[in-house]
Amino acid sequence: MRLRFLSLVPVFFGLTASAGGFDTGPQGARVMGLGGASTAYINSIAGLSTNPGLLGAWGDSLIRVSLGGIGQIRRASFVGQDTYRRTDQELTIQPGGYFYATGAVSKRVSIGLALTTPYGYHTKWPNGWEGRSVVQESQLNTYFAQPTVGFRLNDNFSAGVGFVYAYGKYSQRRALGQYDDPAAQSQFSSSGSGYGVNVGLYGRTGDNLAFGISYRSGVQLKMNNGTATSTGVPARDAALNPASSSFKTQLNLPSTLSVGIADRITKKLLLTFDFALSGWSTLDSLKLDVAANGSTPAHRVSTARRYEDALAFRVGAEYQASPKLTILGGFHYDETPIRDEYISPEFIDANRICASAGLSYQLSSRFALEAAYAFDYGQLRTARANQQMEQVANVSGTYRTATHTASVGVAVAF
Amino acid sequence: MKNFCLNSRSRTGLVAATALLLNACAPGQDTPTPTAGINVSHYLAVGDSYTAGLSEGGFTLASQTYSFPNLLAKQLQGVTANAAFTQPLLDAGTGTGYLDLVDFTAAGFPRTRRVAGQAVVRTLINPAACGGADTVRVLTRSTTSSALPQNLGVPGITLSQLETVNLGNASTATPTSVFNPYFERLLPAADSRTYLQAVTTAASTATFFTYFQGLDDVMPYVRSGGQCGALPNTTLMKNNAKKILDVLTAGGRPGIIAKLPAIITLPLLRQGQGLVLEARLQKSFGDTARIYIEDPFGSGEGQHITNSDYVLATALLRLGQLTRVVVGTTSLMLPYGRDIRNPVRNSDVLDGVLELARINNVFTIYNNELDRLAGVYLMPVITEAGTKRTLDLDVSLFNQVADAISIGGVVYSAEPVRGNVFSLDYYSLTPRGNGLVANAFITAINKAYHANIPAVDVNSLPTTAR
Repeated sequence: MRLRFLSLVPVFFGLTASAGGFDTGPQGARVMGLGGASTAYINSIAGLSTNPGLLGAWGDSLIRVSLGGIGQIRRASFVGQDTYRRTDQELTIQPGGYFYATGAVSKRVSIGLALTTPYGYHTKWPNGWEGRSVVQESQLNTYFAQPTVGFRLNDNFSAGVGFVYAYGKYSQRRALGQYDDPAAQSQFSSSGSGYGVNVGLYGRTGDNLAFGISYRSGVQLKMNNGTATSTGVPARDAALNPASSSFKTQLNLPSTLSVGIADRITKKLLLTFDFALSGWSTLDSLKLDVAANGSTPAHRVSTARRYEDALAFRVGAEYQASPKLTILGGFHYDETPIRDEYISPEFIDANRICASAGLSYQLSSRFALEAAYAFDYGQLRTARANQQMEQVANVSGTYRTATHTASVGVAVAF
Repeated sequence: MKNFCLNSRSRTGLVAATALLLNACAPGQDTPTPTAGINVSHYLAVGDSYTAGLSEGGFTLASQTYSFPNLLAKQLQGVTANAAFTQPLLDAGTGTGYLDLVDFTAAGFPRTRRVAGQAVVRTLINPAACGGADTVRVLTRSTTSSALPQNLGVPGITLSQLETVNLGNASTATPTSVFNPYFERLLPAADSRTYLQAVTTAASTATFFTYFQGLDDVMPYVRSGGQCGALPNTTLMKNNAKKILDVLTAGGRPGIIAKLPAIITLPLLRQGQGLVLEARLQKSFGDTARIYIEDPFGSGEGQHITNSDYVLATALLRLGQLTRVVVGTTSLMLPYGRDIRNPVRNSDVLDGVLELARINNVFTIYNNELDRLAGVYLMPVITEAGTKRTLDLDVSLFNQVADAISIGGVVYSAEPVRGNVFSLDYYSLTPRGNGLVANAFITAINKAYHANIPAVDVNSLPTTAR
């Protein structure tokens, strides 16, 4: 039986896809400690955002609530190809959080709600750094709300479907390096929302082995209320860079397809494995459609991204150290969706390996404290800007990225 | 439990430890160690206007400060401490004066005014010069004149003047003699030395050189639309280049020999490329008028401009302005260059059939000779392909800028002012343009001598040397 599920592995490798990108990691302290391998993991309701099919597994008489906060520090260093100068990104903390609640409506039907912050980044370079005219600061925050219904098909199988409402905020600023004034800058900021669906299936074969499969559709964040401003522009170029204009854009968040198994090795030890395929290829380019302003005609600021679909492989282990204390550990490998030719300092990513650890402490039979920490380390990436493509703003050099993520939360059942 | 109540010292310690921990989260990377590979402790720059640091149509303290040899020398100093570089600096506020931007025309061409300089000792006026009276201004002497400076760039010097005695002697200069006031101020008073002798003296202590000379040989011809001055004698250019390079490369002295960029990459011509210019003017005037130039064979008839004819940038602002012309027996006010009866005069245009072909021929012969000489001197190979021992600035910079390039998110082009490479005189470089040239030399040095000299961050240089 186990072999049959493992045979899925080559299928996914064959897609030559590579997960990663600006997802902010597992959305819950306990699943973070597990390295995110939660598609077939039912010991935390945080699995709800990964696989709505799990909802049926919590179809008993209890109402479960889990909530907590996530903090992520993602930093990269840069060394200029020709200047040999090293620049470190400034320290920023990307805040995140989660809230889950599940409860049974009938013997067969359960409902749940998931509020998460699954995608986002905050890149901040020093204002005077080498690539200041490419980007100085860029920030994306997303908030997902997913009401979900779960159906218990029989004792061993359950399915779930969730509706995703997403809201996102995006801002970016960069120096206008063609002018002498070091404060000359252009800024873009906007927000918008989009919809998606999330479906999943969960099954058990006996007491020891479980599997899950889920698919979350991509979400198109339509941002129509953007403002573009520029400051420090000399009077002679005021018509080229108006002080304020409006713009529209759309940000495509990827679909994800995950499959996972959970295997209870001993009474105290549970192992989980996940593969996730993120459909980042929907992020083809960032197009900012700036509206006409005075004598400046409408124009499009387009940045090619050409992201590729990305695969992630995750392994997690859960060990019951004592009746009250559960220890978690995880490891995952995330391939980056960003190709070499499209590395941009706006968001630096690389193939990453990540180790994580966490714990859950049962204060009472109904109340648990959870905490986790994850560390990602990226491969060295080399960006080579082609000077002759003058419409592409980039800077040549090498990047190295490291990410620290920590989460604390509580899980309650009543 | 009492450990949770931190005293102030342990609280400071905790804050410091947290800060340290957080700062440690930027992952490290190895940075290359800057090395020169050769001895660059005494660098000598030989050349003309570009090497001297002419900018914005003038020669001032600011323009000298951002000359490409000075920017290059700063990078060399980062590799070799104590590597001094002396320039014949003018005093602040003095110099030949410079051009300042007034505004842009509807077609996007800059309108300028001249700000006068104040370092003039006396003037020599040749009223009979071709194209109108020519004034030579003798400037105040450089404080480096007792020992020659390391930047021996002399604006306006030509290779044919290499062995001209008294080229820099004001006491013998007359309005019609061959005299260069920029060379004069590098030398002690009443010094009759030739430029070659000055280079020989300066080279005796030099450990490294750059050679970028010859553009000023053709500039009088170019600037007059082919009407003034003969084209340089290529045999003399070749022979004199060899004389100067014999001195510079003596004893296997390392250096970089730069070839001349194609003349049409300079905005003096590039901005006036026939049909491109025609389209630009049609757009700003909102009409469909063509540009006509005088027939290059001298009949005076107007003919439609082609894309291989170039209107000089100095005439751009006058195109389309009404001027009086006599047609048959009547006197009419007609738009200059935009009416077949009032074609662009020969002195305002370089035609592709004759004049440009001649200039390109000079450049080709001269550049080929530089390639040949570099082989004779066994200069190291510079190009990736492993064939060229000279720096081809066309390939590494000027051809690219003639379209547009993006460096660190900033677009550079041949458009004056907004392009940030060429200054208001449509010829000389801005500080950033000089930075780009310095980087072209640095790339060549790194390649030729297996060096690791860091490049200039061009975007952090000023946009003008005013």
